[in-house]
Amino acid sequence: MNKNYIYLTVLMLVLAAGLFVLPERDNSKQTNPEDLMWSIVQPTRFISTDVVAKMIIERDPTLELIDVRSEDEYSEFSLEKAINIPLDSLTSENYQNYLGIKGLKAIFYSNDDIKADQAWVIAKRLGFDNIYVMKGGLNCWMKTIIEPTQPNETASSEEFELYSFRKGASIYFTGANMENDSEGTKAVINVQRKKKTSVVEGGC
Amino acid sequence: MHIHELNPKRTIVTLVIFTAIIVIGLVTLKSPRLVFNQPLNETIEMAVWDEGSVFPYELTDVINGNIDTVLLVDLRNTFEFAQGNIPGSENISSVELLSEDNIERLEDHKTKGMCVVVYDNDQLHANGPWMVLRQLGFDNVKILLGGYNYYKQWADNLDDSYSNDAYFKGTPQFDYNEMASSANVDEDDASATKTPITVQRKKKTNVAEGGC
Repeated sequence: MNKNYIYLTVLMLVLAAGLFVLPERDNSKQTNPEDLMWSIVQPTRFISTDVVAKMIIERDPTLELIDVRSEDEYSEFSLEKAINIPLDSLTSENYQNYLGIKGLKAIFYSNDDIKADQAWVIAKRLGFDNIYVMKGGLNCWMKTIIEPTQPNETASSEEFELYSFRKGASIYFTGANMENDSEGTKAVINVQRKKKTSVVEGGC
Repeated sequence: MHIHELNPKRTIVTLVIFTAIIVIGLVTLKSPRLVFNQPLNETIEMAVWDEGSVFPYELTDVINGNIDTVLLVDLRNTFEFAQGNIPGSENISSVELLSEDNIERLEDHKTKGMCVVVYDNDQLHANGPWMVLRQLGFDNVKILLGGYNYYKQWADNLDDSYSNDAYFKGTPQFDYNEMASSANVDEDDASATKTPITVQRKKKTNVAEGGC
């Protein structure tokens, strides 16, 4: 047999062995940092409480609310049909099935929006798409949807429209009686609301 | 008879070329410019335990120039930066944060043991960039709670902001259950009262004291 064939065989084996020393790249599925940064810089991930309320009321089938608070907090109070994925178990296998479902908009929320945003960054690094953050979190939900502030008399008609939407949503979510809004109590409410306008006007 | 056996030189030439291509390929194997150096579970731990945050009142010494191991980085755009910023801060907008020059400088600061404190208008806006830097392995990068908006409010008496909690995020401001139950919806006073929150306030220290 020709010697060349032996050399060739040895060379091939050496090269094949070289595959073992190639650096391991286990994170190839993850978003690369520059792309992640690019999507972070854009504010499109934020969804207002009004939009979320509207989606819940209209029973939007694409809505998937994800509560990233702890299990205790979740069991105490959560939004309608929200599922609980505590921030610290975001990467566990059982929960990841809830993310990245085609056609669903996963919206993270927490008490505020910081924790939800951190969950978003982590999920985005893992390569999930169609994920969003509810701006202002539950605190904002309470301020805007459950107890909306009545706009000033000089406010634009859009603000009044928004207010009436929020008022309706409030009744929807709390199951309050429509009669509660009767004129008898209205005078009292007006006085209280004026105090609050400066605090939360303009939303969260 | 095989053609190679007629001309052994040819085989050697082919072999050399073959090896050369493989070697060149290995040498020029391109690794991505930036990789996540922080394992995912550490990132999550960092988020859960609120690590790496700087309280506004901790900045007084930095602003007064008593400490030079801390670099303040303003992540807003030049326009907003020009309208007002924290004294001594440098402007690197989020969009350019990962450019080669800036990464080089951040690495330089890291090797020098400098602390980098990033801020935006509020904590939320700085959160993403801060997390990315942390995940890239810059563990000397911290985030300013409350952001510029809070600072602006307290600029004249930053030290006194110690007793003001407004920069704290993540705690419920209301008793959700009580507020969202139908009985309470129109009795604003009863339901809108803040539930007492016990916040663990960090001992008043300077940023530099604990190192980065």
